[in-house]
Amino acid sequence: MTRRPLRRTGLGLAPIAWLAIVLYGAFLLYPILQSVLTSLTDRNPLKTASNFVGLDNYAELFTDARLMESLRFTAIVVVVVTLVSNTLGLLFAMLLNRTSANYRIMRTLIFIPQVLSGVIVAFIWRSILTQNGLLNVTLQNLGLVDAPISWLGTPELATLSICTVVSWITIGFSTVVYTASLQSVPPELYEAARMDGASALGRFRNVTFPMIAPGVTISVVLCLITTFKLYDVIAVLTGGGPANSTRSTAFYLITVAFTNNRFGYASAIAIFLLVLTAVVAYGVTSLLRRREARI
Amino acid sequence: MRRSPGLRRLGRAGHLVIAWFITFAFVLPIYIALSSAFKSQEQILANPLGLPAPFTFDNILTALTRPDSLVVNGLLNSVLVTALSVVILIPLSSALSFWISERRPLLKGILLGVFALGLMVPPQVVLLPIVQLLHAIGLANSYPGLILSNVGGGYLSFAVFVYVGFLRSVPREVIEAARVDGASDLRIWWTVVLPLVRPATATVGIFLGLWVWNDFLNPLFILGPLQGQTITTGIYVALGGYSADYGQLFGIMFLAAIIPVVGYLVSQREFIHGLMSGASK
Repeated sequence: MTRRPLRRTGLGLAPIAWLAIVLYGAFLLYPILQSVLTSLTDRNPLKTASNFVGLDNYAELFTDARLMESLRFTAIVVVVVTLVSNTLGLLFAMLLNRTSANYRIMRTLIFIPQVLSGVIVAFIWRSILTQNGLLNVTLQNLGLVDAPISWLGTPELATLSICTVVSWITIGFSTVVYTASLQSVPPELYEAARMDGASALGRFRNVTFPMIAPGVTISVVLCLITTFKLYDVIAVLTGGGPANSTRSTAFYLITVAFTNNRFGYASAIAIFLLVLTAVVAYGVTSLLRRREARI
Repeated sequence: MRRSPGLRRLGRAGHLVIAWFITFAFVLPIYIALSSAFKSQEQILANPLGLPAPFTFDNILTALTRPDSLVVNGLLNSVLVTALSVVILIPLSSALSFWISERRPLLKGILLGVFALGLMVPPQVVLLPIVQLLHAIGLANSYPGLILSNVGGGYLSFAVFVYVGFLRSVPREVIEAARVDGASDLRIWWTVVLPLVRPATATVGIFLGLWVWNDFLNPLFILGPLQGQTITTGIYVALGGYSADYGQLFGIMFLAAIIPVVGYLVSQREFIHGLMSGASK
């Protein structure tokens, strides 16, 4: 009987692989399952016992005005950040897509906000935007305004400020993705379009845009996922205020869990957020992929 | 329609000027943070955009000699947590990925599907159960608890996708040849696969290192306020209240940001390359 050498070789590596799978099970799969189970109870860490409440927590989702407010805010930030970051990212990529050292340095600089933690970025911007912050100081020094502007103090301006800061972070990523996409466009295509008498706008529409379609998918989806889990920037910049107007759903979830100690309801929000993220990310990916194939 | 060489040179110079102007406007907040770290409070308020002249190291020294040692301890804790998380994650994920890529297509597909989940789950969703789990196994508010949850969570998914993607480009013959020579899979992983996937290891190490270093939510809630801080949560605790001491604020932030930024500048080529290869999958 001849032994197949392939059999024996699986051993040895398997224990390490299984250790990794067990850890992943414990720290990612089990928590998701646990969230589902907890979402069916009224669990509160300050009480000893918790009761099964069925789908009550999920029913509460639909009547929770604060959750709706957080969803509205999240939707605004997601849409604005995705649009701004991708538009400016593409413009930056086109502006900086040259080979000399100058442009290499500029591309390096534009990516730096991506490397900094959200907490640091938010503190930098807070010191700029706060009531007696550096922007108001500068504006007053120049005599442009008489009284300081409340950049973080009114719901509208605070929302605008959050969108600006998050876009500022994600633009670096979009720029890198689009730069790589542009560099993958064969120069012959432009040459051919030019020979056919296409204008600059026409070349962009018919050559650049179709060729960078995969880049659009990547950049848009990553902007979406980043914005859905937004927490640190809000925590530092506005703390969710003023009047809870800048609470993202992820931020609201943490408040319900750790401030209100409503673990049961917080878990229902968590599962809802997970499903929402998955549906939006998957939906947008397949939508853009289909568009990629068409153009 | 051909432009004269002179006109073209002028156009190029104009383009360069515009590009620098826009880039500078974009990174202005970084310039403000960097220059303010070396300016006194009075200098910052008098002219936020001015150069740090005269130059002062007071902010940095004050941050380093705080009576609560928040910055020094935070930096040490961050180095410890980041280094241990990454040093455990790299062998674990590369071995797992090699093992996965040797499975039958069906099992491989299922495993990759399960690991894809980790790429997408918002950390807030799993945070609460993780905190409870760590309580149950006696690792609540501890560094081992934080490191374990780093190792088992979404970071592992990212590493698996980078490695499995990279392993597709490794020729089968190399591994089969080692197998014919009688090497075990463990040995093949160590002596053949790991050297081959070094570019993937660079990507995994750089990105996971950066993410763990910058992580805010997990250290904040897993360590808790009493067990010390990483530098990222430490900044939040130290500067959480609305203090107007800008010199101090920017001094602390300079110290917190310098390691990741220098790391990025040094490993820039691998960084961008990794970003692109990771993103295109």
